[in-house]
Amino acid sequence: MNASTLWIFLPILTGALLLFLRNQRWVAFVAGGLSFLLALTAWLLPIETTLALGSYAFKLSSTFEILGRRLILTTNEQPILTLIYGAAAFWFIASPSVDKAHRLAPLGLVQVGVLVAALAVEPFLYAALLIEVAVLLTTPLLLSGRDKPGRGLLRFITFQTLAMPFILFTGWLLRGIEADPGASALIRQAAILLATGFVFLLAVFPFHTWIPLLSEETSPYLTGFVLWVFPTSALLFATGFVDRYAWIRTAPQLPQILSTVGALMVAGGGLMAAFQNNLGRIMGYAVILETGFSLLTLSLLKTQGIDLFFLLFVPRLLALALWALCLDILRQNAASLSLQDVRGLARPWPFASVGLIFAHLSMAGLPALAGFPIRLAILEDLATVSLSVAAWAFIGSVGLLAAAVRTIAILVAAPAELAWEARESWPQRLFIILGGLALFGLGAFPQWVLPLLNRLPAIFEHLGG
Amino acid sequence: MLILVPILLLLVTSLILLLLRLGRPKFKRAWLIAASGTVLSLAGVFLWRIDFPHAYTLPAWQPETIFRYTPSWLADDFSWPYALALTVLSAAVFWTSSVRAETDPLTWSASFLVTAFGLLAVSAANPLTLVLAWTAIDLAELVTMLRSTQGVSQTEGVVVAFAARLAGTFLLIYAALRSAASGVQIDFASLPAEAGLYLLLAAGLRLGILPLHLPYQQETNIRRGFGTVLRLVSAASSLALLARIPSRAVDTPLTPYLLLLIALGGLYAGWMWLRASDELTGRPFWLLGMAALALGASLRANPLGSVAWGTALLLGGGFLFLYSARQRGVLWLAFLSALGVSALPLMPTASGWLSHSPLLAVFIIPYLPIQALMLAGFVRHALHPGETSLESQPSWVKGLYLFGLIHLLLAQVSLGLWGWGGAAALGVWWAALLVLGLTGLLVFMALRFLSRRAAGGSGGRWADILRLNWFFRLLQFLFRLAERISAALTHAVEGEGGILWSLLLLVLLLSLFTAGGR
Repeated sequence: MNASTLWIFLPILTGALLLFLRNQRWVAFVAGGLSFLLALTAWLLPIETTLALGSYAFKLSSTFEILGRRLILTTNEQPILTLIYGAAAFWFIASPSVDKAHRLAPLGLVQVGVLVAALAVEPFLYAALLIEVAVLLTTPLLLSGRDKPGRGLLRFITFQTLAMPFILFTGWLLRGIEADPGASALIRQAAILLATGFVFLLAVFPFHTWIPLLSEETSPYLTGFVLWVFPTSALLFATGFVDRYAWIRTAPQLPQILSTVGALMVAGGGLMAAFQNNLGRIMGYAVILETGFSLLTLSLLKTQGIDLFFLLFVPRLLALALWALCLDILRQNAASLSLQDVRGLARPWPFASVGLIFAHLSMAGLPALAGFPIRLAILEDLATVSLSVAAWAFIGSVGLLAAAVRTIAILVAAPAELAWEARESWPQRLFIILGGLALFGLGAFPQWVLPLLNRLPAIFEHLGG
Repeated sequence: MLILVPILLLLVTSLILLLLRLGRPKFKRAWLIAASGTVLSLAGVFLWRIDFPHAYTLPAWQPETIFRYTPSWLADDFSWPYALALTVLSAAVFWTSSVRAETDPLTWSASFLVTAFGLLAVSAANPLTLVLAWTAIDLAELVTMLRSTQGVSQTEGVVVAFAARLAGTFLLIYAALRSAASGVQIDFASLPAEAGLYLLLAAGLRLGILPLHLPYQQETNIRRGFGTVLRLVSAASSLALLARIPSRAVDTPLTPYLLLLIALGGLYAGWMWLRASDELTGRPFWLLGMAALALGASLRANPLGSVAWGTALLLGGGFLFLYSARQRGVLWLAFLSALGVSALPLMPTASGWLSHSPLLAVFIIPYLPIQALMLAGFVRHALHPGETSLESQPSWVKGLYLFGLIHLLLAQVSLGLWGWGGAAALGVWWAALLVLGLTGLLVFMALRFLSRRAAGGSGGRWADILRLNWFFRLLQFLFRLAERISAALTHAVEGEGGILWSLLLLVLLLSLFTAGGR
């Protein structure tokens, strides 16, 4: 058996088949269950080792060849597979509670499979094409048959597609650099092209606009999934470049560029969030801030290695999933997510409101919540390198916090005669309570993710060592 | 581990009461569990003295190369007085609840929970532990207040209070960054000078004194019992930080100005406290005035003095706020409690006027009238008829009520004599006498000439200036301006021509990079 069959083709095939299944709960159960099993097998099953089950022996081989290209999944990739499929299971299982399973579970599973293929493909540059395939799959994921695509979706596809030629062209230049490592003009051109590609892919200002637009115009739960999948894969892809090419890794300007761009995204995202009048857009800006923090951790590679980068993943996933879930519940019960339309909703929808606020506060780095320990560590490390960068990142967090305070003020601003009640369904309450507990648990005991973190950096040969 | 005993006892009691309330609402013996919880937790605080001082640290956050802090707690001269005051307050709230007909186990449960969070805060051994406890208290307060307030304007006040507390919390986090930038990991034991001032501002902001703000101006809906615990625990958690700021960390050129600014806020609070219609309406001013005295002591390099004023805020205030049923025969109890706030020799506040910085000793002058105003207000409100008459209560209710109030008096006596190293002091006796004289004059004037302010009335133009309403209006204007700029920017990049704008910016950036590379 082949590792790619298990972690790439099986989810893609299952996802495609699930498109024909009508029952929402079954779709979510199968997609969530399979994702969970794939996460479990990624944690437990060794690759390239013969295993015996009674008289039956089998071995998961790491390499799969297709049309002259190879898909390689080794032991080093297994922790990231655990994380990706574990997170996907989380998204899929909660999806029926907001009536989104029929779109999210099948297409999401295919998307995750394609993005795992992007992690595994050799030559590495073909990942750009696979990411583009995943981008195109977003259209049916976010739009039902009769909907017209909004400006956010069109812009998302445009910007992500624009990234691809830049990255592929960089690949062509990289061959030249490999042949002549001293060609400084070629290196500069490649660097500029690569940076441009990632500016599109990572939604760096001024190419961030699709995020708030998309968050405003489509279902928050589906958008939340997209905003988890694409920034995560783009960040892994970008870090892969840094890991692979010594000229990037050792470039003296790299930390400064990353810290400048990261600080810009954090400060810009946080401050813009403070001025938004739509809860969906605030979530979008929070994702921009999170991507900025990831870039800031990459600027600290020399002092802290890759650990900080990976430590951000789990708190971000928990907060974003809970935020998107609660926002979807509110959206289904309000005319829109504009502040005017959600005024006073905390009284009829207390669970969704509280979950939304905790998720938001966690992303803003409020103490006692999951985002805090790692955020404090990043800010302190940044301060030792440059207090001004740390201060900008801090300002961004304060901006997001201000947005949280505005959100609270609006959600609880109900007339005195409106009574407190809980209209959420029991599954919704259950997922919100579990999500909230996880946020607090991880805020008090960040070492809970240590078993995963210990193995994750191995995915990057040079940075993880 | 001893340090966690009272905290765990309070948490367990709170949990049992909550579960009983949810599972067996008709259970008759909940009061017995609550009573046991108060007695045992109080005993637990005295257990701290067996091994004194001592610290307890949770298993370290991993990996330690990244997470350099670990939640830890310290029982010492600074934390024990606060811990005793909070536990006694919680016990007093329970024992006096019969007179207020507060018999809902849910209220007791919430009260114990908040007290446990308060103990976690006052005994925090490092800033990380403190911000965690602060957040727990803030969230508990937010939820409770939002559940108990009605109407948009009241909920707005609750959110503003929460925001001000968060600002204090984040100021402390910023102090950690400043400290890290100078190569020192922030710790109460090794606080760099530049971080000290931020810590002081953080405490001031959370207490509402720097800048002066009063989000809870109307709190008649909050009940005396739990409302008192919530308010005082929250204040104690911020006051505890003052005690941890070493004297050298506040030795900055800004200190004299801060002392004057705080004194101004304190004088205003003292005046409003004296004129308040009753002690509950005036409660925010009691907190502000006493917090000003504590902050002043801290700035005069007298951290133990801040503990003295802080515990007086809790115990003296706690007494007056719980003293709802009144009778002429027990008025002496209130006067005894007022003595605890008097700074006379052997009283817990005796060390309040000491100043370890000779240059700043002169700054006690503007603070003396604050204390006099606070004391005069205390006496004036104690002489008020109160909510109910104690004579009309059954004898067992009377007994429990007085037992609860006496808890607070005994705690004041204990702290005055054995609270910390250097307790049982003479203090600055002349200052205390001066204040007593001034207090007498103020009480006389208040009883003869001053009318009580109606609850919820505006404080006039001076109040507008002192409460910095003009400053908040300026902030609001700046926010609106920034909002308009943000909207214009958003419109440009998200509008129809947005992609073109983005590409133009990209070309500009690329040309900049290319030119810079040559």
